[in-house]
This record gives sequence, structure tokens and C-alpha cells, in this order.
Amino acid sequence: MNDAVLTATGLTKTYVSGDRRIAVLRGVDLVVAPGESVAIRGESGSGKSTLLNLFSGLDAPDSGAIQWGAEPPAAARRAAYLGMVFQSFYLIPELDALQNVLMAARMIRPPGGGERARARDLLARVGLGERSGHLPAQLSGGERQRVAVARALMNSPRLLLADEPTGNLDEHTGDAVVELLLTLGRETGTALVLVTHNAAHAAKANRSLFLHDGVLR
Amino acid sequence: MPWFLYLALKQLFPTGRKFPFFTAISMLGVALGVAVLVIVTSVMGGFGYEIRRMIVQTEGEVQVKGRGLIEDVGGLLATVRGTPGVAGATPYVEGPVGILAANRPAFPLMKGIDVSSVGTVANLSRFVRRGSLDDLDDDSVILSWETAQQLGASVGSRIAIYSPLLFEKLNQDEVFLPRQFRVAGWFEIGHQHLDNSLVFCTLRTAQDLYGLGQSVHGLNVRLQPGVDEITGATRLNQVLPNGVAALPWTQKWESFLWVLNLEKTINFFLLLFIVIIAAFSVMSSLLISVVRKTREIGLLGALGASRRDVALCFCAQAFIIGTAGTAVGLGLGFTALAFRKEIVRGIASALQRQDTLRQFYQFTELPSHTLMSDLILTVVMAIVISTLAGLLPAWRAARLKPVEALRSE
Repeated sequence: MNDAVLTATGLTKTYVSGDRRIAVLRGVDLVVAPGESVAIRGESGSGKSTLLNLFSGLDAPDSGAIQWGAEPPAAARRAAYLGMVFQSFYLIPELDALQNVLMAARMIRPPGGGERARARDLLARVGLGERSGHLPAQLSGGERQRVAVARALMNSPRLLLADEPTGNLDEHTGDAVVELLLTLGRETGTALVLVTHNAAHAAKANRSLFLHDGVLR
Repeated sequence: MPWFLYLALKQLFPTGRKFPFFTAISMLGVALGVAVLVIVTSVMGGFGYEIRRMIVQTEGEVQVKGRGLIEDVGGLLATVRGTPGVAGATPYVEGPVGILAANRPAFPLMKGIDVSSVGTVANLSRFVRRGSLDDLDDDSVILSWETAQQLGASVGSRIAIYSPLLFEKLNQDEVFLPRQFRVAGWFEIGHQHLDNSLVFCTLRTAQDLYGLGQSVHGLNVRLQPGVDEITGATRLNQVLPNGVAALPWTQKWESFLWVLNLEKTINFFLLLFIVIIAAFSVMSSLLISVVRKTREIGLLGALGASRRDVALCFCAQAFIIGTAGTAVGLGLGFTALAFRKEIVRGIASALQRQDTLRQFYQFTELPSHTLMSDLILTVVMAIVISTLAGLLPAWRAARLKPVEALRSE
């Protein structure tokens, strides 16, 4: 099982709201193989984002275990092991597209010529080669999300987590972004966990799972 | 460059975008504080520097004084002049006198100088504005500018000098008539204390007015270049006879210099509050930045940033604001110092108070002398205080949990 990029075993997560205890996850198991794409669908509030936060190590489960490869999640490994794409892009407004992509590399070490060349190449592959010097405010929603995808892939991560990456995009642009994620994932051998509402997008993944009542099926 | 420093610089000085308003305000606050500190410490330093220059130029670096009168003037002069490090020595007599000119009185300090040797210690000629030191003889005096103004006397005027000997003689039922003198000139040293109430006369005149015979009150000593006043006084004290001691000028003027230094220190700490207030501005603008950039802080966590690095990003911003503000403040301060005379004249002229300024100000020109130690203290304090102001925002940013930060609206 050490070959798996992500291994989740018996994950539970409960939120307390006043006197109420809301069990969001009730024993989630998932194994993601290298280069595999897994789509997770579910209703709003079903715990999809919570699950992704647990996978990313940004949040801790009440019980259960997660492993990135053979080791548990660690903040120090996150930059190199994980790439993340969010619904709201989260680009840094003061940095142009190229520098936003390079920001991922900066988390590991100050970027050199090799990193810059890779960042330009990634921007070219997401169709923004000519717009690398543009600030996020000068880009459309779809372009911003493509910059975020390039950033997520900058450090050649083993696992890409995408949390409703098409949520703020129109249908056409959303389709293009999902296609981009799947294509780049295949090309780079990066495993993808895609959280989405969209059944058509989920259908393009190797596996499509549904989170319901705190259990992944 | 580590990412937190790179991002701090980019957030403060973004390329292709307008200079952030809050950054500009914070930087300006620090700059104003530093500028005021530089101006005040330099001007206060200027007072000390000018006082040293004037005292040394009029009295020499060391004074030799006895417990009483010095009678063997020739012997003492020979001893002092033969001491290593001494460039020159001249005897003096000093004490208060009363002056009357056309029914206008003045009570200045009279200083009797040995015209033949005073040039080896003090270059008094450069302070004489009307008349000449060469015209000074036993029947003439040279008045300070303020004393001349007070008496309404000009070069060639006749004045009467009453010495304290008058009172001594009156006690013995004798009448001691005042002596008539011609005003040979007037001088301006540039220090209000000296210009306000000082009269130069010959040593013999002063000895006569005080009834000292051939005795003097002391010697003014000029040291060779490179010999400081402490070393010079120490060497002299090793060779001087009992009952006679050498005092460095800093000891004679110790109280005045202490007050001057105290004023400077108090001013520094009071004005440091401008920097402290500016630091609160730095803190509040960075706190606003933490709130505005909550989701970006969450993103940094998602990208793999440690809490320590997130905190360092905000500390670095405070440090950069402090450093840039200090640099701008130094520029502002030194520019203001370069144009200080014009600024003071402009203010005095606008308020029609040129005469008041001259009357009450210590110097006729605003002095400035920047000590490197003052400059270093100002720069270090400004940067340290500004950087400390970044600690609270840095702590707030580091405490944010990425998951919650990313979810925030």
C-alpha cells in the first residue's frame, strides 16, 4: 500500500454547534493511486471540503488516519507533496501571474532559472504564456483559475487536490479548467482528487465517488 | 530571498500598482519622527559644539588657577609653557565692574588680557567687529556688542568704569573715583552669554581696577593640536606648584554642559514618542492588512508556509516600513538642517521677531552638529520600535488557521 499517493482510513469528523453535534464524516476510507483521478461529489454541506482539508493536512480528523505515501501529513512536506486548487482561485493580488506560480516554488527555496523556466512553461501549457506579466486583477475568472492550476503543479506534486475549481466559472470555462486538470494530471503523473457538484466533470475522472451521510461510496 | 521577505516587499511596494495608502502614511509617520529627532539632536549637538569652539577660542582648553592670587606670574608662565603639549599661555584678570556712559549703566564681566601674549591662546581679533585689538591700551576698552548697545556707546565714546575696589575704599572713608576709558571697539563672539556682558581691557588696567599689583587671577592655556583638555590638564597638574591647579574647560563649564546634555536627552526621549505614535500607525495598518488578507494568509498555509514564516512576513513589513521611513526621515532631517538658517529667518521675519530671536536665542545663528552616536541611536530606535510594532499583527497572522482563513468572507 506504500505505493498509494493518499491513504485515508476510518476518517471521522464532528462539528459542535451549540448543543448539537454534527457528524460530518463517519468513517471515510479512500486510497488514491499514483496518476489516478478521483472525483468526489455530494450535496452542499455534505462534508466534501472538510474531507479535502483532512486530505491536505490543513485540518485533523477526530479519528482515523491519513498517509501521504508512507508517511502521515506534515506541514513541512506540504509544498512539495501537494498542489491545491480552490473555488476562489486565491491568487496574491500584488504578484503577476508568473510570480503567483513561482510562489509555490518559493515555499521550498528561492527560485532559480530552472524554476522560472518551468513556471513559464506551465503558464504556456494553461494558455497564458502571453499573459505571465499580468496581475490577477487584469485576468478573467477562467484565466485566474488557470494560473492557480499552474501554481498547484509548479512543484511537481504527487497529489493535486481541487475543491470545486469550477464553482466560480461559467460552464464553458469550467469544462476547460477540468479538462486542463485531468490532462496535466495525466501528463505529469499527478494523482487528482476533484471535489465537484458537476456530474459531467466527475464522469471524466477514473473514479467517481459520492459523499452521503458522512460516508464515501 | 526567502519568500516571506519577497512577499513583504511586494505587498509594500507592489509593481504596476499605486503605492499603498496605509504604507505611505505609516512610513511618513516614522519619517517625521526621525526627521524631528535628527533636527533636534543636531541643533542641540550644535549648541555643545559651538560652545566648545567659542570657549576654546576665547579661553583656551585649560585654565590654571590658584587658591588665591597668582603672584609669580613669570615663573608660572615659564613652567606652563615648558610643559609638553602646551602651545601657549596668557595671564588674565577677571571680575565684575560697573560702567556708566551718558547716564546709562551696565554691569558686565571685565576681562583683563595680556595683549602681547593673548594671541598665543585666543584669536580674539576675529571677533572684533569695529575698531581693532591693536588699539587696546591702558586707557581704552573693547565692549561686547550687547554691552555697547546697552550703553549706547560706539567707537570713540567715553565711558566710566567703577571697580569693586570702590566699595572697599568707601568702607575706609576714602573716595575712589571711577576711571574714564575710551571705547576702542566692540566685538561679537556669537554666544549670547559672552556677547551680553563682557568687556576686554588690558591686564594692567584690570590689575589697577582690582588693586592686584602684579598678581593675576589665572592663566589661559592653549594646547597643541591632538592633545585633549584632560590630558593637557593632567600633564600640567604634574608640574604645577602647590596651591595652583589646571582645570580643563569641560570641568569649568561642567554644570552648563550637563544641563545642555540633559536637555538634549530629555528632548530625545520626548520626541521619540513621535516615533512610538508612528509605530502604532504601523501596527494598525498591518492589523488592517491581516484582516484584509486573511484568505491570502490561509493560502500561504495551504502552499506550505509555516506559522513562523507567516509571522516573519508581517514583521518584515514592519521592519521595511521602519527602515524606509527612517531613510526618508534622515533625508528630510538633513534637508531641513541644510536650510535651517533660511527657515529660522523666514519664521522670524514672518512673525516680525528677528530682534527677539537675537535677544533670547543663545546664538546669533542656529547651530547644527550631528554626532554619529546620536544618529546611530535615532536610526536604531526608530527601526527597533517600528519592527516591534509588527509583532502583534505577526502574532495575529500566525494564529490564523489556514482552513478557517480560507473560509473567511
